Amino acid sequence: MISQVLGLVTLIYLAAAGLFLAAALWSSRRLEAWGRGVLLAGLAAHLGAFFGRWVESYRHASQYTPPEGAGAVLNLVIHQVPLSNFFESLVFFSLSVSFLGLVSFRRHLKGALGLVVALLACLILAYASLAVDSSIRPLMPALKSNWLLIHVLTCFIGYAGFALAFGAALLYLWQTRRSKANPVAPPQELDRLMYRAVALGFLFLSVGILTGAVWADSAWGRYWSWDPKETWSLITWFIYAGLLHARLVKGWQGRRIAWLAILGFAAVLFTYFGVSFLLPGLHSYL
Amino acid sequence: MSRKSAPRSLSSRLWDSLTSIRLTVTLLLVLAVVATVGTVIPQNEPVARYLASFGPRWGPLLVRFGLHRIYDGPWLLVPVGLLSLNLLACVIRGLPEAVRRVARPFTAEAALNLPLRGRFTLPAKVNPHEAVLPLLRQELGRLRRHNSPERLVYFWESGRFRPLGPYLIHLSLFLILFGALVGKFWGVEGRLAVLTGETATEFTLSKGEGSAPLGFALRLDNFTVDYYGGTGTPREFRSDLTILQDGKEVGQTACRVNHPVTFGGLTFYQSSYGSQLAGPVRLKVCKGQDCHPLTLGQRRGENLPDGQGQVMLVRVDANYQGLGPAVLLAYRAAGESGQPQIFWISARHPELARQPRTPFHQAGPHHFTVEDLPLKFYSVFQVRRDPGVWWVYGGFLLCLPGFLLAFLRPTQRLAVVLEQSPKGHWQGRLLGASPRAREAFQERVDRLLMQLKKGTCP
Ligand code: HEM
Repeated sequence: MISQVLGLVTLIYLAAAGLFLAAALWSSRRLEAWGRGVLLAGLAAHLGAFFGRWVESYRHASQYTPPEGAGAVLNLVIHQVPLSNFFESLVFFSLSVSFLGLVSFRRHLKGALGLVVALLACLILAYASLAVDSSIRPLMPALKSNWLLIHVLTCFIGYAGFALAFGAALLYLWQTRRSKANPVAPPQELDRLMYRAVALGFLFLSVGILTGAVWADSAWGRYWSWDPKETWSLITWFIYAGLLHARLVKGWQGRRIAWLAILGFAAVLFTYFGVSFLLPGLHSYL
Repeated sequence: MSRKSAPRSLSSRLWDSLTSIRLTVTLLLVLAVVATVGTVIPQNEPVARYLASFGPRWGPLLVRFGLHRIYDGPWLLVPVGLLSLNLLACVIRGLPEAVRRVARPFTAEAALNLPLRGRFTLPAKVNPHEAVLPLLRQELGRLRRHNSPERLVYFWESGRFRPLGPYLIHLSLFLILFGALVGKFWGVEGRLAVLTGETATEFTLSKGEGSAPLGFALRLDNFTVDYYGGTGTPREFRSDLTILQDGKEVGQTACRVNHPVTFGGLTFYQSSYGSQLAGPVRLKVCKGQDCHPLTLGQRRGENLPDGQGQVMLVRVDANYQGLGPAVLLAYRAAGESGQPQIFWISARHPELARQPRTPFHQAGPHHFTVEDLPLKFYSVFQVRRDPGVWWVYGGFLLCLPGFLLAFLRPTQRLAVVLEQSPKGHWQGRLLGASPRAREAFQERVDRLLMQLKKGTCP
């Protein structure tokens, strides 16, 4: 049931991407609004699937350990948030991309930028549904913590911010390379949106790293162990800190910032995928 | 900064480089590279492992330069130390000015000095308050106002405390780094493994060799692990502990994953567990109807009682494949050559021995069943005392308001000034500034100006 809904959401995102493309080709405001509307509808269905999986995961767990008392129920609900394996994290990543795209770009989400955002969300979700094991597994003891919810939530919203900045950066580089007089999106606007997405992503990644440290402190007895995942999230964080200083203090703009945003996103991808598949460590479950 | 030709003193040049963003970005890059190296080269392995995997040429070199302990040595400490100085210098240089800026009140006079953004005109007969106020309220919220005979000034400010944001962040980073250093030099870290029923009085230090006294005694009364039904995945494990001081029991507590226990300045974190044999394993071995008891110690080859083969106990597991305790046995019947048979014998499920293509399958001619498998759990704790952790947490708490200030509310100041011309018209001026969010501010100004012009000139 949930996987069907997710399949449908993938198609809705694809439709939104198509509408944005059409809007760009015919410069139609109507189609732009439709694109945003369809993206919003996809997001709503996506949220539904997310909560559906949460409920299912809760049911699954309460078979093993029927919780007693309201406190235990609440604890189990929090622990069973569907963010505990690779599939669930991808689903949430896609959700964050469309959500953050709508929230942080708002009326600037149109034309080519809208196309990029909707396609990103669509591709991530399609990858999750087609290539990743989606079964619900019981949680290992270290994951049973109230910090799981806030830690993974903030990390992935952060990643989504960086993904949006990456999309805007690609678009920026692509269209400032061509010497055409008629850009698909005004470059200053893209530059500003890029910064906005990076700032949001940085804020959330910082909170994600902090909550991760607090959690590690209570679970492993060290707030920082230089585990590869931690280390790479720190590298990512350094790169974006560099970007923010370059822009806010040194006044860099445009292409140089766009390249930094791409470098940063490469680090995000390595933190997310590369570390899990290439480097052994404590974070092997995500 | 400026590159004047006038010679400057060494200390002022040093200060300039210490407070430069270029140093910051360089250090951040250096740290990124160091961290990358640390994830590519496995850390804290025995030296022999590096010689084996990096070869006789690179292995010793790598160990010599400390690349196998990159997070403990100067590779990390030097750039982190410099970054701390850099941060502190930046705070010292910029904070007073930021505080001054925030403390200076935003008055009508200050508002009048803001740069001009646009003009508009009101018809002579309208009441200026009624024409302008609702519009401004809708766009900006609460406004302040200053009336004087010659002019009306509405002024508005948001994000007043924004300039403090970056300094709170930098200060918090400094606190975190400071706490980490305190923990590194004045903290203690180690491991403690205790068998059920036994008492520990010291733990193994993780840095270097040797152990340190706990200062009290810790007895593991009981260790329990329970599993998700039918699987080998542990659901929860816990150690029931008794704390003893001078031979007297002073407390009892349970330590679980994610629920550490603190006593006497040390904190214990449940990290792993295992089981080991508490005595010999007793098996029954049958060939046809001919059965004998068989007692085995670990890892010693034994002849079978009927002399028709040999066995060796390889391993025990308290919950093999979620099916309860089991032993791994190597067995070779007399007269057979080649690899011995290796199979698990489940204490609770002897019938599995007849299932081909499972790890439990016994091909015969002897058949083994478990009579008694005395297992004892041991529990492993991470032990720590870290006087720096409160600095670190203080830094965490301080950086949150810092981020909110720095990113969520840029400083914006706006003023609308209305002056009556000699002919009785009201001339309006829109003034404003937002040094760090120019484009967003420009949008707001354009929108306001459009509305003011539209709303006031029918
Ligand atoms: C690794 C760590 C660092 C992080 C995460 C960090 C973070 C930030 C953030 C979020 C801002 C706000 C940018 C803005 O909106 O203006 C900022 C500004 C700034 N940072 Fe850093 N920073 C770091 C290290 C440093 C260091 C070492 C220096 C010292 C040279 C420095 C100097 C500055 C300056 C001068 C500003 C501008 C302040 C202002 O806007 O008034 N930063 N930093």
